[in-house]
Amino acid sequence: MSPAPRGGTRSAAASRDGKTGGRKKFFVRRRKVCKFCAEKLEYVDWKDVKLLQSFIPERGKILPRRISGTCALHQRKLQTAIKRARSIALIPYATD
Amino acid sequence: MRLYDIVALVTPDLTDEDAQKVAAEYRKILSDGGAEIVKDETWGRRRLAFPILRKREAYYHYFQVSAEPAIVAETERRMKLSDQVLRHLAVRADLELKRAAKMATRQREKAARRPPRPPAPMPPAVPAEAPPPIEKGEIS
Repeated sequence: MSPAPRGGTRSAAASRDGKTGGRKKFFVRRRKVCKFCAEKLEYVDWKDVKLLQSFIPERGKILPRRISGTCALHQRKLQTAIKRARSIALIPYATD
Repeated sequence: MRLYDIVALVTPDLTDEDAQKVAAEYRKILSDGGAEIVKDETWGRRRLAFPILRKREAYYHYFQVSAEPAIVAETERRMKLSDQVLRHLAVRADLELKRAAKMATRQREKAARRPPRPPAPMPPAVPAEAPPPIEKGEIS
């Protein structure tokens, strides 16, 4: 049980990330908010191509949560929605 | 009875009318089997995101039906056999919608339970001050 060193490393890591603390902040990271939670969209519609397209980068892959900021619950729903839309060719599986 | 979303991609080799006829065929199968058609939309001729059987376009037709699983299975089977239907998708819609409704009510209840937020203190009213008139020619 030695919380001190762990806390120390964590704060050091945090400052290096530029998240919290630290003397030098290189940039302020904007807090990412789940789009579906923010707009209170409980149901992710697989027919809504425009919405799904916003979670599909150039390559055609599904945008990861760590980038889009979508919450776990909605990412799962988004995932099934995208896969359904792909199966009927509304959205590509892959592009290059 | 369960709510289903059904989409069929009809081959672009047909004319608009013929594509409608194909859709009408499935509409008949569904309604004959006792399904209640909730939504019946033609999305029209759309470009496919990738070619299916060398075809780059297709007529999309969408049904939302409230039906017994057996009828939907039968419709799917026929779509699979049909040469005119390039691809189809039949999925349940009620589970997700029910969940969404539940979440919405829960959120509303939660909002109701929370004590009403006291009105935000207004910033002290600052009388809109006009910028002091610049007097010309006084100083100089």
